[in-house]
Amino acid sequence: MIKFVVKRLLSMVVILLMLTAIVFLLQKLSHINPAHAYLGANASQAAVNRETHILGYDRPFIAQYFHYVSGLLRGNLEVSLRTRHPVSTDIVAFLPATVELAVSGLFLAMVLGAVFGLISAARFRGAGAFRMLLMSFASAPVFLLSLLGILVLSGNLHWLPGTGDTSYTNAPTGPTGIIVIDGLVHGQFAVAWDGVWHLILPALVVALGPAVSIGRVLRGSLEASMLSDFARTARAKGLKERTVVLHHALRNSVSAALSMTGLQVGLMFAGVVVVETIFAWPGIGLYVDQSIPQADFPAIAGVTLVLGVGYVIINAIVDILQAVVDPRVALV
Amino acid sequence: MDDAPRAAEASAPAARGTERLFDAASPGASKSPLVVVDDLHVSFERGGQQVNALRGVSFELQPGEILGLVGESGSGKSVLALTLLGLLPERPRPVITGSALVSGTDMVTANREQARLVRKQHLGAVFQDPMTSLNPTMRIGKQVIEAAGSTQEAVRLLDAVGLPDPASRLRSYPHELSGGLRQRVMIAMAVADSPALVIADEPTTALDVTVQAQILELLGTLRDELGTSFILVTHDLGVAAQVADRIAVLYGGRLAEVGPSADLFGAPLHPYATGLLRSRLVLRTDRSRPIVTLPGEPPDPRNHPPGCPFSPRCEHHSGECDVALPPLETVTATGEIAPSPAGSAMHQVACVRLGRFSTGHAAAIDERAEPWGPVASASRGRNPAVLVHGVHKRFTIGTGLRKKHLLALRGVDLSLNEGEAIALVGESGCGKSTLLRSIAGLQMVDEGEIEFGKGGRPQMVFQDAGASLTPWLTVGEQIGERLRSEGLRRQPRDARVLEALTLVGLPAEVAKARPAQLSGGQRQRVALARATVVPPEVLLCDEPTSALDVSLAATVLNLIGRLRRELGVAILFVTHDLAAARMVGDRIAVMYLGRIVEIGDADELCSAPIHPYTKALLDTVPEVGRVHVRLKGEPANPIDPPNGCAFHPRCPSAEPTCATSPVSLDPVEGASGRRVACPIALRLRTPITGDLNTAGVMSARDDSGRR
Amino acid sequence: MAVAEAFIPSAPRRGTARIGGARRIVGRASIAERVGFALLAVLVLAAIFAPLIAPYNPITPSGLPFTSPLHGGHLMGTDEVGFDIFSRVLYGLRTSLVGAVLVVTSGVIIGGLIGLVAGVAGGWVDTVLMRFTDLFLALPGPVLAIAFVAALGPSGFHTLLAVAIVWWPFYARIMRGEIRALAARPHLEAATLAGAGPFRRAFRHLLPGATSAIVVTASLDVGNLVLTLAGLSFLGLGAPAPAPELGAMAARGLQYLLQEWWVPVMPAIVVFLLTLASNLSGDGLNATMSDS
Repeated sequence: MIKFVVKRLLSMVVILLMLTAIVFLLQKLSHINPAHAYLGANASQAAVNRETHILGYDRPFIAQYFHYVSGLLRGNLEVSLRTRHPVSTDIVAFLPATVELAVSGLFLAMVLGAVFGLISAARFRGAGAFRMLLMSFASAPVFLLSLLGILVLSGNLHWLPGTGDTSYTNAPTGPTGIIVIDGLVHGQFAVAWDGVWHLILPALVVALGPAVSIGRVLRGSLEASMLSDFARTARAKGLKERTVVLHHALRNSVSAALSMTGLQVGLMFAGVVVVETIFAWPGIGLYVDQSIPQADFPAIAGVTLVLGVGYVIINAIVDILQAVVDPRVALV
Repeated sequence: MDDAPRAAEASAPAARGTERLFDAASPGASKSPLVVVDDLHVSFERGGQQVNALRGVSFELQPGEILGLVGESGSGKSVLALTLLGLLPERPRPVITGSALVSGTDMVTANREQARLVRKQHLGAVFQDPMTSLNPTMRIGKQVIEAAGSTQEAVRLLDAVGLPDPASRLRSYPHELSGGLRQRVMIAMAVADSPALVIADEPTTALDVTVQAQILELLGTLRDELGTSFILVTHDLGVAAQVADRIAVLYGGRLAEVGPSADLFGAPLHPYATGLLRSRLVLRTDRSRPIVTLPGEPPDPRNHPPGCPFSPRCEHHSGECDVALPPLETVTATGEIAPSPAGSAMHQVACVRLGRFSTGHAAAIDERAEPWGPVASASRGRNPAVLVHGVHKRFTIGTGLRKKHLLALRGVDLSLNEGEAIALVGESGCGKSTLLRSIAGLQMVDEGEIEFGKGGRPQMVFQDAGASLTPWLTVGEQIGERLRSEGLRRQPRDARVLEALTLVGLPAEVAKARPAQLSGGQRQRVALARATVVPPEVLLCDEPTSALDVSLAATVLNLIGRLRRELGVAILFVTHDLAAARMVGDRIAVMYLGRIVEIGDADELCSAPIHPYTKALLDTVPEVGRVHVRLKGEPANPIDPPNGCAFHPRCPSAEPTCATSPVSLDPVEGASGRRVACPIALRLRTPITGDLNTAGVMSARDDSGRR
Repeated sequence: MAVAEAFIPSAPRRGTARIGGARRIVGRASIAERVGFALLAVLVLAAIFAPLIAPYNPITPSGLPFTSPLHGGHLMGTDEVGFDIFSRVLYGLRTSLVGAVLVVTSGVIIGGLIGLVAGVAGGWVDTVLMRFTDLFLALPGPVLAIAFVAALGPSGFHTLLAVAIVWWPFYARIMRGEIRALAARPHLEAATLAGAGPFRRAFRHLLPGATSAIVVTASLDVGNLVLTLAGLSFLGLGAPAPAPELGAMAARGLQYLLQEWWVPVMPAIVVFLLTLASNLSGDGLNATMSDS
């Protein structure tokens, strides 16, 4: 087990190197001369050449890559062409809101996925209609769900707020940057509650698609587990059907659902970017959406790296969880 | 069952002494039957067709009785077992009529909760595949405790079923145990809470032959200790006869014959039971002629004939057989139908023509089968067709620090002469299949050489004939594939394919069929047709009959025997069954953990085994009335084979030197061609005596006709 | 001696299902799946015949801005410029469908080929190809696609290229898995012994067995791609305005949501319908091909 974890973490390092290599290559492809960008549009050719040399962009390719990676390790994500701040500073400012949205979205997706999976594995009246409803959720683009959510729940019914992560202009800032937690830390429960209220709609919209995918996989493997030989053995022991599901079938099905969760995180991140745009949620998704029209590649690259690292970490955790749940996974 | 308690003692720690393992219920104290099945019908729909799995089955089971439920595929035996457990799959929804009372509850009409309570309080179950039947993500301990109630009880049960060091095994996962130990865990769960009845569905089919014998003995012991009844579902009449008090033979969803084991195994009355017994191979079966087989194939449960289900395959059938379903009627010892049933010892047969043909079992010799002709003369020679010299093969398992080597072959020498047949016998992990695949050229060997005679590449037939055929290609295209390299045009190719099909007894239409449209027996014939469409010098057979029903297996063995003689091909036949090996092979080579431990003439080896392992293997062939000596333990792991003689940890006559000094395959004095890898056995060798000498006598006579 | 057994043809069993006629597939599908097939057929026809069906030119104003649906001959109303939304949606549907199909096809071809080579060759070829594939799979595809398009510059072609680049590893994995599973069956060894060469083994004895799994996967994937492409388009990573793209239309209409809701919602609904139809049809195909 420990060996498996160590191995998994080592492979994570390789994957992250691959990620940096891809982003580095894209930067080379992006036709943006960082020296030019750094100096502004009016700089003379001589100044640009000098700057290019100072920044090391005339060195061999590999050397530039090492330079780039060592810069990354020191937290250097270059300077945004749009905001003129270091990208790292911008990301530190915008990341907490995204973490709040993504983590609660992921949590919600897992909970809803488990519920969907368990409900649709059971046979009941209207199961077909329920599946159709889930299929519809999974087929709706994130922006349609967001639009309808804002129109109906926020615009018409006024149940939920439709923009931003807080209604307080003087909300506490720090220590985490996550409104709900900061509100609690500062003892301002109204702020925290308001934060939760703002979170519900965007988190739900982000979570629905992945939740249905997770639920479908869970249902499929639950059904297979319920027909398996070991479930038959459990029934032959005279165990209650509930025990067979919860103690025997579920544990054998969780692994597949976890795999799907890991895969869905990638799609969810893309969804987060869209949702932050629609809800004016002050996260890195909104940041990157504003960077795209300006062709602010350093900003886009920085966000890509951050989301990529998040994805890789979440998937490593998923794999380790799988090994905990199913002892055979660690053998591979 | 006199020797039953011995195994319990062997498996329990010595400290236990005379203490009983279980609170013994006294068998036979209660006279009311434990199970009463009355006119049970089960059918369901599959693929738009009605499958009639059971069509009016009635029987009773007394407390403490072991009933062997014997049938081939499609007989409905597993459906019957699952009905009694109340565990028939809900989809496709089965239609059940009749009743199946278990401890007073009708499992047909019981609701889910009632059926569950019956399972919890009165029933236990053991299934075929102990790997998939245990939850792979749950520790053994937890799974047993679910049935046993407490850790203490779980340890006691595991100890009682012979799991070594049960307390520490509680924390193991199923994949960390061997097949035999997993099945012991299944049995421990089944007998937890002292159920009245344990239903064991093919509990030994997935296990090695020596382990199978241990498990069967354990079932008998548990019955004696606990008074538990067992229903042992099996396809093998011999397995049932070893432990069952009574045997019920199912055919086409009906009981064909029910009676005491000794009667049924000794002198069956129903033509199907007789045929089944005849096509079972024993060490006395006449080798000089084809095995007497049942014609045709097992019944198709989607399409039963109106009358006796066996009628299409029955040599005694007449018009009256097809009028109505024959009822199960009681017969007396003299073979007459008795007016009234007489307790559980009664013998019942469902055959309307009973008494109008001779029912004598006629032993294994059936004079109607013509003796085999000689092997095609030109090819029979002294030149080796395959020469295997000092072959080693190891497989690497895992990577990095976990890397291990599985030693599949550890120095094998073998010479197969032109036109000769050798049977390679051994249990799982002995390397027999690896050797075959190495000769076929499907894998490289690490050390040693494999040389061929003048012929080209050997051909091979596989254990799972269905899987050895490409599902989406027609049979004709697959057989014709071997002719492509000959540059034949389409038409002559088709003609050759047809010829090959005819040779294996298949009609021409089969050429256009895809494998899924064929039955299991037909697929193995197609595989043989492909292997022989261009007759190879050597035909390799990897357990080609072990996945087939008993009656079909005999047919395929006969076909191999015929092809061999007509085409003059040399045969290397891998099997775990010594009786089958003896039928096919001129010589038999016994393998254990990557080495040949004994090789010699088939009859000599079977009638006078020298190596202790050969003796043990011979002992696993069931024979009524023979006292079986069980081999302890399971085949050792080829990843780390024991030093010295690899067999010494299980050997009943091992001496201290066996663990240290290497053994070589030495010639046996006075027996030409015989070699044995056991210096102790060679030293102690005594003239042949014992219960196997009949085979020796018979074989002496066979030889005259064969050579 | 050998008894010629009666040759009884029976229904084909699992694993041999082939792509049969459309009638057979529709015949076995559930009601929801049939609705999906019908809806998909309507949408595909609408996309093909968009120039004939569309009442107006999608990129010239054809009415007053913000005409509400069903008014002034505008089925779905007009947008802030006065473009007819229905006409634009028809052309957008075309772009979405063609884009999704192109990416799926390229994924199947590139990934399928890599998976086939890895699966058939085995050994170090397999290891190298699959390690590379796994590295790609270990990264978030949609996020990388955003970066790709941003680096290359937004355009319809770049979007497709970017998504295709991150999409193939999935198919390589599936193809390789199927091929390895098939190659483990003795039928491949039997073919080797029967003298079949490597190409015959790959294309006659292995590939046909993997096609049904790949076709089902691809059909289930079309919906995912419609959503992903629409998402990228929403972020401004598609063809520049005023090209009729569904995601971009929804994004540009966002600011009018609370007053002129139809401007962003209509194109979003069409994305939803196309995805739903693809998913239902994919499910139907899956059900008929796996349980025959």
